[in-house]
Amino acid sequence: MITDQARHSIAEIFCHAARARLPATAGDSCEITAVPRWDDQHPAAPHAMVLTISSIAFRLLFVLHFNKDDATRAYYVGGDTTRSLSETLMEFANLCCGYMNQQLVNYFPDLGMSTPYELNSACVGYLDELHPAHVWAYELLIGGTARLGVTLCLCAQAPLDFRADLSTADESEGELELF
Amino acid sequence: MEWVVLESYLLAACVGGIVAAFATAWFYRGKLGAVVNARQSDELARQVLAKELDAAHERVEQADSEHAELESMLADLRAQAGQYAQDRDALQASLDEANTRHAEWLQHATEIAEEAARLKTLSVTFERWHEQMISLMSQNRDMHKKNQELSAIVQHVLIVSLNASIEAARAGSAGRGFSIVASEVRSLASRSQDLSKSYRESLHRNDLTTAATFQDIQAGGKMITATLGGVEVLATRFQSRLEQAAA
Repeated sequence: MITDQARHSIAEIFCHAARARLPATAGDSCEITAVPRWDDQHPAAPHAMVLTISSIAFRLLFVLHFNKDDATRAYYVGGDTTRSLSETLMEFANLCCGYMNQQLVNYFPDLGMSTPYELNSACVGYLDELHPAHVWAYELLIGGTARLGVTLCLCAQAPLDFRADLSTADESEGELELF
Repeated sequence: MEWVVLESYLLAACVGGIVAAFATAWFYRGKLGAVVNARQSDELARQVLAKELDAAHERVEQADSEHAELESMLADLRAQAGQYAQDRDALQASLDEANTRHAEWLQHATEIAEEAARLKTLSVTFERWHEQMISLMSQNRDMHKKNQELSAIVQHVLIVSLNASIEAARAGSAGRGFSIVASEVRSLASRSQDLSKSYRESLHRNDLTTAATFQDIQAGGKMITATLGGVEVLATRFQSRLEQAAA
């Protein structure tokens, strides 16, 4: 249903999006590690921000996992008392998913993106209910302190094949380890 | 002496006759030359007249030829004018037909632009669905809370039943019946706990499918709205060009 080059293209688009949009301050590091699945060795953080990119023949769920711990709060919220961590990460998830949407629209002209919604990460254990064509899972360390996770779930109703041609401008901002 | 004089006379007469003859000859000769000259002049004049006559004939022939050529051209021009008139009528008919089609296209373009603009209001429907998702998810959160409360109660019942079992054991044979009841309560609480856990999982599954479905509807709605916006722009541009062409 989804070709290898389409799978690699989506992974590459996500890595560019994460490096470009998830650091709170431009220039902060963004270490991305692909994990085979969320389990006891690689547990997903308990809270999740979900967005969906929809096209005519496929939809892509973007799930940002996060902890409401001191390190994450300090990195993303800092001393700002006017906004909660959820609100702040909702904005970052929206930016990151929006970046992916901007890249994908080059290959799929009919695209739309939802607004973010917060869920419990336990929901991700039931992604099979959506009959996904492929699921990606990543652990991220942002700015050396904030640990996030991302799950991408692609559901396709038709064969999906494309090759992303991305600029290599932000290629050196992080390294991707593939399992 | 007399012969000499006679001879002199004769000689003089002869000379005089010769001179007279020469004079006469000279006279006639000049007169004859004049006649010849007159004849030559007449011949030349006749030749000039003949040439002029020939030239006049040639000019007449040329004029006749040119006249015939002009007549031919005039006939061609009349034929062309007739053809042009036919072509003009045909073009006028085509133009009228094109104008009719143009008016129809303009009407279609206007209708498409209006329809696209109208359909863009579908976004209101998509937003209503999104609000319904928020409402559903709010209900799910409420059920999560109630289930957590139920789970806490069941946990409490388990502890109470355990305590009841301990107290029944202390009562000895008198507490045997109470021990059976406490054990039954613990069993029911344990089953309730399993049911609560299963219910929590169902709620998580429901959260995912509900959020994913409604987000798909919301994102799909934005996709449709954007596409209709593009159709509206194209239709409006087409309509504008048709109006400019008609002006």
